[in-house]
Amino acid sequence: MIQWLLGPEADVPGALFGIGYNFDYCLFAATETEPGAACGPLLVGVICIVLLFGLALLGVRIAFAAAIAGFVGLVEMIGFTPGAAQAGTVPYAKTSLYALSVLPPFILIGFLAFHAGMTSKLFDAARKWIGWLPGGLAVATVMAQAGFAAVSGASTATAAVFSRVAIPEMLRFNYDTKLAAGVVAAGGTLATLIPPSAILVIYALIVEESVGALLLAGFLPGIFSALVYAGIIVLWAKFKPDAGPPVTGFSWSERFRSLPGVIPIVIVAMIIITAIYDGWATVTEAGALGAFVVLVIAVTQGMRFGGLKEALMDTARLTVMIFTLIWGIFIFVTFLNYSTVPQAFSQWIVDLPYNPYVILFAILIGYAVLGMFMDAIGMLLVTLPIFYPAVMALNGGDYVTREDSAFGLDATEASIWFGIIVVKMAEVCLITPPIGLNCFVVNGVQPQIPLAHVFRGILLFFIADLLTIAGLVMFPEIVTWLPALLRG
Amino acid sequence: MSSSHDSVLPNPPPDGLGRLVWHLDRVIRAPENLMNFLAAAATLFLVLLGVVQVVLNAKWLFNSPIFGYIDMIELAMPILAILGISYCQRLGTHIRMDILIQRFDGRLLWSVETFAALMTLMIAILLMIFSWNFFADAYQIGDSTTDAEIDTWPSKLLVPIAFALLSFRAFVQTIGALRLAINPGLTPVGVVVQMDIAEQAQEEIREALGDADEDAS
Repeated sequence: MIQWLLGPEADVPGALFGIGYNFDYCLFAATETEPGAACGPLLVGVICIVLLFGLALLGVRIAFAAAIAGFVGLVEMIGFTPGAAQAGTVPYAKTSLYALSVLPPFILIGFLAFHAGMTSKLFDAARKWIGWLPGGLAVATVMAQAGFAAVSGASTATAAVFSRVAIPEMLRFNYDTKLAAGVVAAGGTLATLIPPSAILVIYALIVEESVGALLLAGFLPGIFSALVYAGIIVLWAKFKPDAGPPVTGFSWSERFRSLPGVIPIVIVAMIIITAIYDGWATVTEAGALGAFVVLVIAVTQGMRFGGLKEALMDTARLTVMIFTLIWGIFIFVTFLNYSTVPQAFSQWIVDLPYNPYVILFAILIGYAVLGMFMDAIGMLLVTLPIFYPAVMALNGGDYVTREDSAFGLDATEASIWFGIIVVKMAEVCLITPPIGLNCFVVNGVQPQIPLAHVFRGILLFFIADLLTIAGLVMFPEIVTWLPALLRG
Repeated sequence: MSSSHDSVLPNPPPDGLGRLVWHLDRVIRAPENLMNFLAAAATLFLVLLGVVQVVLNAKWLFNSPIFGYIDMIELAMPILAILGISYCQRLGTHIRMDILIQRFDGRLLWSVETFAALMTLMIAILLMIFSWNFFADAYQIGDSTTDAEIDTWPSKLLVPIAFALLSFRAFVQTIGALRLAINPGLTPVGVVVQMDIAEQAQEEIREALGDADEDAS
C-alpha cells in the first residue's frame, strides 16, 4: 500500500525527499570560496538525525523514533523495496545473537540479589572491618556497594537497596544526613562498572568489541572509583569530625565471623571473572551459573515462587526494553552507514585544529549535557554510532599502533578505554540535577531526608567522579591493564 | 506483576469512545501478559540450560557440550527480546525523552501523545509486514541454523506476531489519546499516564526492593 502511495518511482533512490544521491542538494550551498556542505547522502543523514530527535522530543519512544528515522532514511537512500526489506530483517537479526544472551541472566542476578539478603551481611562485614576509619560507616557503605556491584549491574537498584540498609545505621551514629544520603546515591553508580554490567555488554555489541574484554576492563576503574569516594569521605570526616564519627570496638573474632556472609558474592564474582579470564565457560554460561547461584541463595533465604515470578517478569520487561532499543537503533545505524554521516563527522573531528584531549573533553561535556535529558543506555545507543567512530579516528584510526596514536593507545585499547569513560560519564548524570534518578531513589526510600540534602550531599562525590574521569583519561592503564592480560 | 500504572478501571467509562478503548484494551491484555510470561519462562530456561551446559561441558566431568546449544539460545532469543514488546508499550517501559512533554498538560499533551502513538502504530505495521516477509523467505527456502540445522522460521515468525500485537496496542493508545485530546477532562483509559521523576524513583524502588518495601515502611 505504501508503495502504491509513493508511486512507481518508489523503488529508486531519492524516493521521499528526492535528494538520495543527488549532490546538487546541499545544506549550505557552494559559494565562490567554499564548496557546498552536507550534500546528497549527507543531507539525508542530517535530515534523519533531526527527524529522530524531533520525534523523540515529541514523546515517541526512542527505540521507535530511531526505527522510523532509519526506515525513512533507508527508503530514501536505496529505494522502497530494498530499504523496507532491510529494515524488516533487523529486529530478528540483531536480537538473535548469542553474544547478547548474556543480558537476561545479568539482569536477573540484579533482581534476585536483594531477595538473597546479601546486602545487610555485606554491609555488616564492611562496617566491622573498616568502621574505625574517619567517616567509617560511609566508607563501609561504599565498599559494600562495590561488593554488591558484583551481583548487580543496575545503579538505581543498588542505591535503593543501600538506602534501606545503610542509611538508618549511619543516622543512628549521628552521621550528617547529607553525607549519608550522598554516599548511597553516588555509590550506586559503581554497579555499572564492576561486572556484571549490562551497559558494558551493550557498548561492546555496538562497537563490535569483545564482551569479556569490556567487562574485565570495568573492574579496576570500578575499584578506583570506590577508592576515590572513600578518600573523599575520609577527608570530609577529617575536616568535620561530627559529620562522620568512626565506629570502633569490634573484636577480631567478630570481624572474622562476619566474613561467611560475604562468600556468596565472592563466588558469583569469581564465576564471572574467572570464566572471562580463563575461558572455562562463555560469558552467557557464566552469567547463567551466577544467576543460578544467586537464585539458590535467595530460595534458601526464604524467597517463594511469587518472588521468583516477579523477579523473572521484571527481568523480562527490562530485557525487552533494552533489546527494543538495540534493534531500533540498529535500523538507524544501517541507514547511517549509507548516509556517510559517521565518516564525515569523523573527518570533521580529526580536522579540528585542537589538541585531541581538548576535543575529547568537549565530547564528554556533550555527554554530560545529554545525560541530563536521557537515560544512560538510551543515550549511549543514540550517540555511539556517530561519536565512537569519531573518537577512534581522533586516536588514529582502526589499525593505529600505540606509538602513532593520539592517546597512546592502540585501536582496541582505545575502544575499550572510551567505553569505560563514557559509561562512567553516563553514570555521573544519574547523580546530577535535574534528573539525578539515584538521588530521587534515596529520597523515595528515606523520605525524611529532603531532596535538597541529597543533592547537596552528592556535590563532593560529583567532584570525586570528575577526578576519577580525569584519572582514567590520564592513566588509561587502569582500564587497559586487565583486558591486555586477556589478549596475552 | 502489578504496577500502579497498570490498573484497569473496573467498569467501562460512560462515553462511547471510552467504552470502545476499554474493551479493546481488555481484549489485548491477556495475550500481552502471556507473551511477557513466556519471556519470563524463557529467561529461567536460559539460566537452567546454561547451568546444564556448564556441567556437561566441564573438562573434569563429562566434557560433552549440549548439541546445538548456541543455536538453541539464538533461536530462543526473540522470545526474550521481542515477544514482550507490546506489554512494555502498555506499561510505558520503553524509554523516552520527556524533557519537553513533561511541561505539557491537558489538550496539548494528549494531542502530542496521539501523534506519538500514531507514529508508533505506523512503524509497528511497517515492521510487521516486512518482518513477515523475512519469515516467509526463511520458510520457503527452508532456512536452518549452521550447526544443528534447526529450522529458523518458527523463531522468525515470533517477530511479526510481536509487531501485530504492538500495532494493536498502538492503535488502542492512539484512540485513547485522541479521546483525551478531544475532552481532556475524561478519565484516562488505554493510555500510559506519564510519571514524573519522583514516581519513576518509586517504580525503581519497587523493582529493587519488591514486597519487602511495604512491610518495612
